[in-house]
Amino acid sequence: MPLTTEERRRQFEAEALPHLDAVFRYAHALAGDPTRAEDLTQETMFKAFRAWDQFRPGSNARAWLLTILRNTFINEYRRRQHEGDPVDISAIEPHTVFGDVQDVDPEGRFFASIVDDEVLRAIRTLPLDFREVLLLSDVEGLPYGEIAELVGVPVGTVKSRLSRARHALQRQLYDYAVEMGYVKRRVS
Amino acid sequence: MSERSRDIECREAVERLYEYLDRELTPELRAEVERHLNDCAGCFHHFEFERAFLRFLEARARGRGAGPELKRRIIEELFGPEAS
Repeated sequence: MPLTTEERRRQFEAEALPHLDAVFRYAHALAGDPTRAEDLTQETMFKAFRAWDQFRPGSNARAWLLTILRNTFINEYRRRQHEGDPVDISAIEPHTVFGDVQDVDPEGRFFASIVDDEVLRAIRTLPLDFREVLLLSDVEGLPYGEIAELVGVPVGTVKSRLSRARHALQRQLYDYAVEMGYVKRRVS
Repeated sequence: MSERSRDIECREAVERLYEYLDRELTPELRAEVERHLNDCAGCFHHFEFERAFLRFLEARARGRGAGPELKRRIIEELFGPEAS
């Protein structure tokens, strides 16, 4: 039996709307700029509401919304075939910066000196495949299996992307912290 | 045969570092890594550094959420102007 308007609305408010912030953050990570992220968020929520009867109450609404968002973004992205990714994937260093700081700041205290804007800017320079897994794991706290399903790649790929994304981000933040004098560059 | 699982080397521990910190290891593998960390100060410090980095990301990489204006707009479009 189809839901009444009132039931749909109540369910949507209870199960979908609480994930609006997560949807927006993922949209921002995918699209890069806040205006496109807002448009994507809006489109995702409309699509989800229109398709609400297909959603099984009690199942993972966040995963469902993020999947709609991702598919919407990919379709649009393919259509536009625009701006190449700013960082070359092969140039991402697969190494932690721990080796550089273990003598001067083994606890990574320098991270705390870096302002949020700089952290977010550094994340945006990561290629899409990398920044999305980083966001989904390290901000949204999704397990590897859920990320793999959402992104449509094997768990092993999630692991390696995540590890490279973290190291690439560490490297950028470390270089920034050295520039700003928050940590001394290691003399080798 | 011993009940104890085998000892692992630094290389293997570091390979599992993120899976360990992300709580993605089976209890057996987790125990192997932990035993190595108890014995190896170098890896222990490395793991603590990465743990600090992940905590930092969780706290600082969040960025802003949807914001009240966008929320209001979406609710209004979905349910009508009187809803927001």
